[in-house]
Amino acid sequence: LLFHLASPLGDEGKALMSIKASFSNVANVLLDWDEIHNDDFCSWRGVSCGNISTSVVALNLSNLNLGGEISSAIGDLKSLQSLDLQGNKLTGQIPDEIGNCVSLLLLDLSNNLLEGDIPFSISKLKQLELLNLKNNQLTGPIPSTLTQIPNLKTLDLARNQLIGEIPRLIYWNEVLQYLGLRGNMLTGTLSPDMCQLTGLWYFDVRGNNLTGTIPDNIGNCTSFEILDISYNQITGEIPYNIGFLQVATLSLQGNMLTGKIPEVIGLMQALAVLDLSENELIGPIPPILGNLSYTGKLYLHGNKLTGPIPPELGNMTKLSYLQLNGNQLTGGIPAELGKLEQLFELNLSNNNLEGPVPENISSCTALNQLNVHGNRLNGSIPSGLKHLESLTYLNLSSNQFRGNIPLELGHIINLDTLDLSSNNFSGSVPASVGDLEHLLTLNVSYNDLGGPIPAEFGNLRSIQTMDMSFNRLSGDIPAELGQLQNLASLILNNNDLSGRIPEQLSNCLSLDKLNVSYNNFTGLVPLGRNFSRFSPDSFIGNPLLCGHWLGSICDPYPPPK
Amino acid sequence: EVMARRRLGGPGSWPPTCRSKCGRCAPCKPVHVPIQPGFSMPLEYYPEAWRCKCGDKLFLP
Repeated sequence: LLFHLASPLGDEGKALMSIKASFSNVANVLLDWDEIHNDDFCSWRGVSCGNISTSVVALNLSNLNLGGEISSAIGDLKSLQSLDLQGNKLTGQIPDEIGNCVSLLLLDLSNNLLEGDIPFSISKLKQLELLNLKNNQLTGPIPSTLTQIPNLKTLDLARNQLIGEIPRLIYWNEVLQYLGLRGNMLTGTLSPDMCQLTGLWYFDVRGNNLTGTIPDNIGNCTSFEILDISYNQITGEIPYNIGFLQVATLSLQGNMLTGKIPEVIGLMQALAVLDLSENELIGPIPPILGNLSYTGKLYLHGNKLTGPIPPELGNMTKLSYLQLNGNQLTGGIPAELGKLEQLFELNLSNNNLEGPVPENISSCTALNQLNVHGNRLNGSIPSGLKHLESLTYLNLSSNQFRGNIPLELGHIINLDTLDLSSNNFSGSVPASVGDLEHLLTLNVSYNDLGGPIPAEFGNLRSIQTMDMSFNRLSGDIPAELGQLQNLASLILNNNDLSGRIPEQLSNCLSLDKLNVSYNNFTGLVPLGRNFSRFSPDSFIGNPLLCGHWLGSICDPYPPPK
Repeated sequence: EVMARRRLGGPGSWPPTCRSKCGRCAPCKPVHVPIQPGFSMPLEYYPEAWRCKCGDKLFLP
C-alpha cells in the first residue's frame, strides 16, 4: 500500500509540466518535455540545471511563438537564476509567485502580450540584475518597491501602458545603468533626484506625459551617455547647466521648450546627436554650434528660430543630417555648407531664406536629400548640382528660382523625386529628364515653361506622378507616355497643349487621375479601357474636344459613325 | 568630488580618447554606435553612444 504513484520527476519536474500545461502552441516546440519518455528534465529544451544539484537554474524559451499564460508554478523553481520568455505571445498576468524565485538574476518577459499590473512581489528578487518587461500591455503604476532591488542594473519597462509617476526612490539606485521607460503614459515631472543615478548611462522617458521643466541641476547627471526626454510636455527653458552633461545623445524634441538655444551647447563636443526639434525655441541659431565637430545629427526643425544660418555650421564636418526646416530663418544659404562632405540630408524648407543656392552645395557629394521648399530663394539652378550623384530627393519648389531647367539634371540618375514647382522657370523641359529611370515623382507645375512634353518621358518607367500643369507647354501629348505602366497621376491642365489625346494612354493601366483640362485638345476622348473612369472635369476647358459630357461638341458621345 | 573638480573646469564635453581602452588591439578609435532602444518606429533614428573600436571589436570608453 506504500506503492506510490508519484512520478520520478520531483517537485521541479512537476513544476515544469505545469508550466508547459499553461502554455499553448507547445506541440512542436516542447516535444521533449515529456515525463513519460524522458524524466531527465535537465535535458529538456530550454532547461538548464546546476552542476551539483539537479535544480533548474535557467529557463530559456524565447522566440518560440508560445501562447497561453505563465503558470504560478514558476514560483516552485527556487534555484532559477535566469528566466527568458521574451518574444512569445504570452497573455495574462505575471504571476505573483514569480517573487518566490529568489535566486533570479535575469528576468526577461519582453515582447509578449502580458497584461495587468507589475506584481509588487518582484521586489522580493533581491539578486535581480536585469528586469526587462518592455513591449507588453502592462498597466498600473511602476511599483515603488522596485527600488528595493539592490543590484538592479537594467530596468526596461518601455512600450507598456504604465501610468502614474516615476517613483522618486528609483533615482537613488547607485548601480542602475539602464532605465528604459519610453512609450508609456507616465505623468509627473522630472525629479531633481534623477542625477542621483550615478551609475546610469541610459535614461529614456521618450513618449510619455511628463510635465514641468528640465531640472536646473541636470548638469549633475554626468554619467548619462543618452538622455532622451523627447515627446513629453516639458516646458520652460533649456537650463544652462545642460552644458555640464557628457552625453552623446541629447533628445529634447517634441516638447514645449521656450527661450533661446543656450550657447553652452556649443561646448558639448561629445554630442553625436542633438535634437531640439518641434519645440517653441526662439532667437538665433548660436554660431558656436559650429564647434560641434563630432556631431552627426543636428535637428532644430519646427521651432521659431530667427536670424541667419550661421556659416560656422560648415565646420561640423561629421554632420550627416541637418534639419533646420519650419523656422523663420532669414538671409542666404551659406556657401560654407559646401564643406559638409558627409552630409546626407539637408532640409531648409519653410523658412524665409533668400538669395541663390550656392554653387558650393555641389561639394556635398554624399547628399541624398535636398529640400529648400517654401523660401524666397532666387537665381538659377547651379549647374554643379549634377555632381550630386547620390541625390534621390530634390525639392526646390515654392521659391523664386528662374532660368532654364539645366539638362544636366538628367544626370542625377538616382533621383526618385524632382519637384521644381511654383517657381519662375522658363524655357523648355529638357528631354534628358527622361533618363531618370528611377523617378517616381516629377513636378514642374506652376512655372513659365514652354515647348513640348519630351517624347523621352516615355522612358520614365518608374514614374507614378507627373505634374506639368499651369505652364505654357505646347504640342501633343507624346504617344510614348502610353508605355508608363506605373503612372497613376498625369496632370497637364492649364497649358497650351493641342492635338488628339493619344489612344495609347489607355495602355497606362495604373492611371487613375488624369487632368488635361484647359488646353486646346481636339478629337475624341479615347474610348478604350480605363478612360471611362475619368470624369468630365478631367477634360473641361477644351472647347473642341469631343467626350461623354453634357454640352460636348459631339453630345451624345460616342458620336454615330 | 570628481564632479566638483569638473565644475571648476567649466561646462563642455569631449569624445573619449580611447587611449588603451581596446586591450592590446590597435588602433583604438572613438566611434558613434547606435543603441537600439527596443521597439522603434521605422523612421526614427536610434540614440547613439560613444564606444572605442578596434578592427570590428567595440570596447567601453
